[in-house]
Amino acid sequence: MKRQERSTMVKKRNSNKKNKQSNFAKLSIFQPNKYKFKKNCPLSGKGAPIVDYKNIKLLKKYISENGKILPSRITSISQKKQRLLSLSIRRARNLALI
Amino acid sequence: MNLYEHTIIAKQDVSPSQIKQLIEKYSKIVEKLDGDILKTENWGLLNLSYIINKNKKGNYIHFKIKGKNKIVSELEKNEKIDKNLLKYMTIKVKEFDLTTNYFSIKEKDEAPRKKYNG
Repeated sequence: MKRQERSTMVKKRNSNKKNKQSNFAKLSIFQPNKYKFKKNCPLSGKGAPIVDYKNIKLLKKYISENGKILPSRITSISQKKQRLLSLSIRRARNLALI
Repeated sequence: MNLYEHTIIAKQDVSPSQIKQLIEKYSKIVEKLDGDILKTENWGLLNLSYIINKNKKGNYIHFKIKGKNKIVSELEKNEKIDKNLLKYMTIKVKEFDLTTNYFSIKEKDEAPRKKYNG
């Protein structure tokens, strides 16, 4: 008797798991817009810091540990500001500031 | 008339009196060619991020110049020969930001670090 009960229990568990997985799959495919996080550019808009080759504190936020420029898809900087940023980082490198 | 930002890096073992002479020397060149120096900033001795000609530190001097492009070529011609300098850079800008000085604050932050270095 006991064995039979156990087997039924296992079956039930399995069926539950399958249902959960299917739910997850649905979520990942039809993800609503709420869960996509879209950050705004931190360097544009009102009160944003000035991008300049002398402003090293700001520039150091946007380079990796090896001194490479971080891509805009990670930092969510707008295209226009990314161009300005990379230019000012290159200028700071030339002066051996970074 | 254009606006230029001009920075010089002098060697680490240049004395403060020599730096004053350097500032005078290059500001005279600018004045000769009818240019105006709106501001000179002495950023002091800063750590270089990479070694330049066996120098680990450098004295930074920063000029904000208003004038013709002849000044830049004349300045760079003299700076190429100068043995006290490591590097120079000129950048043409549309507007000057005369209010903020990024390096006066930084010197205070770095003062305690120098003690640890000995």
